[in-house]
Amino acid sequence: MDSSTSFERKKHIRFFSRILQILPHRYSILDTSRLTITFFALSGLDVLNALDHLSEKNKQEIIEWIYSLQVIPNEAESNTCKCGFRGSTCNGVTTPQYAKAMESTNEYDSSHIAMTYTGLASLLILSDDLQRVNKKACLEGIRALQLPDGSFKSTYDGSENDMRFIYCACCVSAILNDFSAIDTAQATSFIRKSLCYDGAFGQGPGLESHGGSTFCAFASLKLMKTLNSALSKQQLKWLEYWCVSRQKMGFHGRPHKDDDTCYSFWVGATLKLLGVFELIDFKENEEFVLSTQDNIVGGFAKWPQIHPDALHSYMGVCGLSLMGLHNLQPIDPALNVTQRVRTHMEELHAKWAAAETRKLQTTSMDRSRTKSSTIDRTHTGTVVLAFVIGLGAVVVPWIYKVYFRHAT
Amino acid sequence: MSSSSDEDESYKMYKDRPEWNDVKSVPQDDGPAPVVQIAYSEKFKDVFDYFRAVMAMNEKSERALELTGSAIELNPANYTVWHYRREVLKALKKDIAVEMKFLSQIIMEQQKNYQVWHHRRALVEWSQDFSEELDFTADIISRDQKNYHAWQHRQWVIQEFEQWDGELDFIDKLLEQDVRNNSAWNERYFVIEHTTGFTDEVVKREIEYAIKKINLATKNESAWSYLRGVLQDKGLTWSKSLCDQIHSWRGEGLRSPHLAAFLLDMFDEDLEKKKCDVNKTMDKVRSLCKELAEDTDTVRRKYWNFVLQRMTKEYEVK
Repeated sequence: MDSSTSFERKKHIRFFSRILQILPHRYSILDTSRLTITFFALSGLDVLNALDHLSEKNKQEIIEWIYSLQVIPNEAESNTCKCGFRGSTCNGVTTPQYAKAMESTNEYDSSHIAMTYTGLASLLILSDDLQRVNKKACLEGIRALQLPDGSFKSTYDGSENDMRFIYCACCVSAILNDFSAIDTAQATSFIRKSLCYDGAFGQGPGLESHGGSTFCAFASLKLMKTLNSALSKQQLKWLEYWCVSRQKMGFHGRPHKDDDTCYSFWVGATLKLLGVFELIDFKENEEFVLSTQDNIVGGFAKWPQIHPDALHSYMGVCGLSLMGLHNLQPIDPALNVTQRVRTHMEELHAKWAAAETRKLQTTSMDRSRTKSSTIDRTHTGTVVLAFVIGLGAVVVPWIYKVYFRHAT
Repeated sequence: MSSSSDEDESYKMYKDRPEWNDVKSVPQDDGPAPVVQIAYSEKFKDVFDYFRAVMAMNEKSERALELTGSAIELNPANYTVWHYRREVLKALKKDIAVEMKFLSQIIMEQQKNYQVWHHRRALVEWSQDFSEELDFTADIISRDQKNYHAWQHRQWVIQEFEQWDGELDFIDKLLEQDVRNNSAWNERYFVIEHTTGFTDEVVKREIEYAIKKINLATKNESAWSYLRGVLQDKGLTWSKSLCDQIHSWRGEGLRSPHLAAFLLDMFDEDLEKKKCDVNKTMDKVRSLCKELAEDTDTVRRKYWNFVLQRMTKEYEVK
């Protein structure tokens, strides 16, 4: 491959934009995970700093479509264990705004943890405020999927359980800023048990180390903030060694396997989280990723000379972004979205916190009014506290507004 | 996929089948502005229109079972179809052995699909019949030695039904065919960890085993990782005979980067335990890192320079 291959930004933008519209019949196998494909395309455009190629109307339509995939509690709230997001409407389910064909959902209607994660992430990418997300139900949906060994299955009716779904649960919790639906001690224990003798993580205990599961494991520990208790200094050193050893030219996921574009992200992001990403050979890695670029239709493939696909195209641009190349937007390695999206998410968290404080304040004010005849020292304390909290509620959003306006 | 049956002229659409004319099909409601649409084929639409109808009615019948088969053929990744199929199989009290035959065929065509392997595990859990599982996974592994799903299923069967006997022989054969088969090395560790455990005797035996395999391919990362693995609790310098072997390989001029990296970690351990002369050992560390960075492992040159810096900072007396 010619090392001077140029990065085909415009073609990649067209590739991701096309994916958002329609896929040919041979992709029918993606029918249940269209929301994840949406995420790859949207986040891909975001990394390319090209979201403005979508019209405002189009963005709004995508937001509406994503919300239509939300599994919401029924009247009896008997289905909260199945709440979250579905990947598409293929199983004959409709939401209130789309209810045309069927009156109600069937008992097989259920969210999928990867769709809940990528659905929420997609909404953030489109600058939505998650106001219409039933956060409580999403978290109940997540809670219902954790198994006694700490791992997660993907959907309520049953599936395999492994590291991928722990990562999805962590991302959902991070986006909703609430880890109460995860037993983090158990999840951390599962991750520790999946640490393989060669220093990296398998999909579960006893299983072979793998670049994808290693990313999921390590990013989950970071998101749950349990890394320090989970791994020793020596274990971190071995993990570093295993990860840098995955570079041949680009990166591969297991020893003696061929390099594959997506591992430039999975292993690259793990190295970034370990703080030693700068130690890899950027030039070789870039050359490999570009060798899998489709110079005609855009996008990236798993290997050179084969057709590009949504996942590898997204992971390809992410892998290049980690190296700060081609004016790509910097990404947050743990959440796998741009830093812009992470900032937007943190602004939302600050707003939610402020709203929560205001609610608390109102409640204590109400209480103070009802008990006004018995003002004593404790009560005065409550009033002072409420005042301080109230002040905080005004000041905190203001600080965020000013800070982030400057930051961006 | 399924292009052959797409072109099959004798195939009859469900909407044209008399035994289905009592059912009103349910087209997909994709809303006013769908995203990532799929240009479904007519056959795909037909099958899933009826599948949606069947799910809505919750009909568990022979014809529903047949319909799930058609749906699986068109999209084996649709986990809801598989789940529904299991519900129908249960309701009709179907023979699991027949289902296993159907499934084995699909797995042969779809070896890396999560749903088919989950279905297989569900059937085995249900019937408790694991008699074909080791042969079946061995067959898949013989076609694709690193198939993660097959190994995962095999490990589950072995652990669940305590089928440990014979597994080390199975691994031996695979490593004879390809000494770089990392999945087989991993399986070896898995079996020993769950059977004898890594007692002193076993560790000594496994060191000998790894040494023999390293002699066949000195740059084989898998064998070197295994060696580190079996020594992770005891320390890399625990075995005198291994230390002798490492030095003798170096003496013979063997320049495998894995050998240098292993020796480097042995020095790291000695330095940490203060079991050596710091200056002399650090000289050796410097020369090993230089060899790796500049000669035998240049793609990782920044890493080896970083290791040198880290060790210098940690151990060298100012």
